[in-house]
Amino acid sequence: MMSFEDRVVPIMQVNGYLLVPIQIDLDDRTVGLLQQQLLKEIERTRAKAVILDVRMVEVIDSYISYTLSETAAMARLMGCRTVLCGIQPPVALTLAQMGVVLQEVTVARNLEHALVLAGSFQERDRGV
Amino acid sequence: MYEERITTIIEGPAQDFDIVVRITREEDIAVARQMAKQLAQEIGFSLADVTRIATAVSELARNIYRYARQGRIMIRKRLEDRDSPGIEVIAADRGPGIPDIELVLTRGYTTWERSLGIGLSGVKRLMDSFAIHSEVGKGTVVITEKRRRTF
Repeated sequence: MMSFEDRVVPIMQVNGYLLVPIQIDLDDRTVGLLQQQLLKEIERTRAKAVILDVRMVEVIDSYISYTLSETAAMARLMGCRTVLCGIQPPVALTLAQMGVVLQEVTVARNLEHALVLAGSFQERDRGV
Repeated sequence: MYEERITTIIEGPAQDFDIVVRITREEDIAVARQMAKQLAQEIGFSLADVTRIATAVSELARNIYRYARQGRIMIRKRLEDRDSPGIEVIAADRGPGIPDIELVLTRGYTTWERSLGIGLSGVKRLMDSFAIHSEVGKGTVVITEKRRRTF
């Protein structure tokens, strides 16, 4: 179990998914802790998908982008998909202008869409 | 001449700027980003531009921390032109310098293991003007500016 201080986000379990609202300023240390916390929770819960809600995140720079992609790649190796939802328009604009590509991450329009996507992965993985 | 310029910028009076953030620890990256955001909001930039400016400052501060270990982010309002005020961001360090500036401005190029290699080229895209002076063994200065759009 992680010590309480190392947990930077609340993680909720819904239908075999992990729902993660990110409501903190992602500095370099925090984004590293977020990665560790997510991987531990994925291992512990055997979640099929993790949904990151970044509605409250005001700045996503290249390092945060890199770490999110890296986390998603790690999760994928553990059999878990990563869906990102809620990217704010100014953040989307900035990322697009910088040419950031979030590899390994599936982007959803909103939380509802994220849940639909997470469900579709589950079906695909089951071979339905 | 060039060295003088770096010295003037690094050791120059802090009162020439509205914000001076010394970058020595990782946390300082977020501090610089946050302060830039506040100043940009004060100047009346749109939310999109505030985000661009904060992101650019984040990239510049991280480069200082990664490659030079320490340096300064200096930010000031540019209010001479009433119709289009602006913000100037200077990142200065006495780090190892950049041997090939064109190469580091190539998207995807990086010497850092965990990086997308789009930091500096990203800053150039996000800001209106971008100038970089660097000399190996002496340091690097990046000067960038963003003007507020007139409506």
